[in-house]
Amino acid sequence: MASTTITPGHTVRKVRPIPQTRNRFELGMWLFMRYSGLALVFLALSHFWMQHVLIGTHEIEFAGTQLRWGITGQPVTVEQVIWRAYYAVMLVLAVAHGINGVRQVTYDYFGHRPAVYKGLMSVIVVIAVLISLGGMAALFMGAAAGGGEAALR
Amino acid sequence: MLNPLITTARESLRYKGSGQVLWLLHRISGLGVVIFLGTHIFGMSMAAFNPPLHDAMLAVYKTPLFSIGEIALAACLVFHAVNGTRIAILELRPSLWEKQQVATRWSIIITLILLAPTIIIMAYKSISYYATHGLR
Ligand code: HEM
Ligand code: HEM
Repeated sequence: MASTTITPGHTVRKVRPIPQTRNRFELGMWLFMRYSGLALVFLALSHFWMQHVLIGTHEIEFAGTQLRWGITGQPVTVEQVIWRAYYAVMLVLAVAHGINGVRQVTYDYFGHRPAVYKGLMSVIVVIAVLISLGGMAALFMGAAAGGGEAALR
Repeated sequence: MLNPLITTARESLRYKGSGQVLWLLHRISGLGVVIFLGTHIFGMSMAAFNPPLHDAMLAVYKTPLFSIGEIALAACLVFHAVNGTRIAILELRPSLWEKQQVATRWSIIITLILLAPTIIIMAYKSISYYATHGLR
């Protein structure tokens, strides 16, 4: 790795450099960003294209979520277990990848003020964990019976 | 105040080429998707806890303002995915570093190829929806 020379005239690497191997947390996170990113190419893009190009945002309905996640209290089909697993993996990877990305950005701009950096990150991590726990719980429970569509109209 | 900023922007463009711009775009697009994701997971989890609130979130997804934002979201997501793949592959396989310039060009081309039909289909669906349902 270290022996790779950059020829003048070539674009210099502008991405985050490979961290010192002595810092195992940063090395782990560096690798995680790359592998989770590669997994998210399939997960996030397939989800986005399913909701927009196949279904279309304006056709999205509560019944669709009930179909995929199952309904709270009712028996779960194999397809619904697969859908839930797909969303669970995407949720964990996207949130962890996103949080670590936000951490890097926050460090770049506030790293020289540790109190601000730690304060900001604590707030962000707490909010992210709460939202993710809610998302996970929803996946275990399935969508509510009935649905709120009628409540709005 | 502004002068050094402009100088930095111009000089980094001149010295370091398009990589600097791609880095900034990667950062902005990543942050854009994170912000959406936070509200999105909260909203969708309401399918289990609070269906009326879930429906209210879905109703927001069907407003003209969101339809425009959605196109920005598509651009952020697709660009970040393609450019991120380039970063990951090049860094996990350092022997490919010599191909940087080609890789950069291709990540822009692939982003545009994936994005063009996506945006056209999304815009078509949105416009035909508002044409029949009216703007709300
Ligand atoms: C779709 C596939 C994705 C790929 C291939 C990917 C790849 C990457 C890579 C390799 C990095 C590290 C860049 C560096 O260290 O300089 C990164 C950073 C980042 N990613 Fe992703 N990512 C993807 C999806 C996402 C998603 C869904 C989110 C939002 C939840 C996101 C948010 C971020 C943020 C905020 C950063 C930090 C940017 C910075 O440090 O400037 N990414 N991404
Ligand atoms: C505007 C674009 C999007 C729409 C319309 C949309 C729509 C939906 C819908 C309807 C669900 C409920 C599950 C279902 O019915 O199948 C859902 C869940 C989910 N979406 Fe999206 N999605 C969008 C973009 C994204 C993006 C860009 C990401 C991630 C990078 C994402 C991540 C998730 C996750 C993690 C869940 C599971 C939430 C939970 O467990 O509470 N979505 N989405």
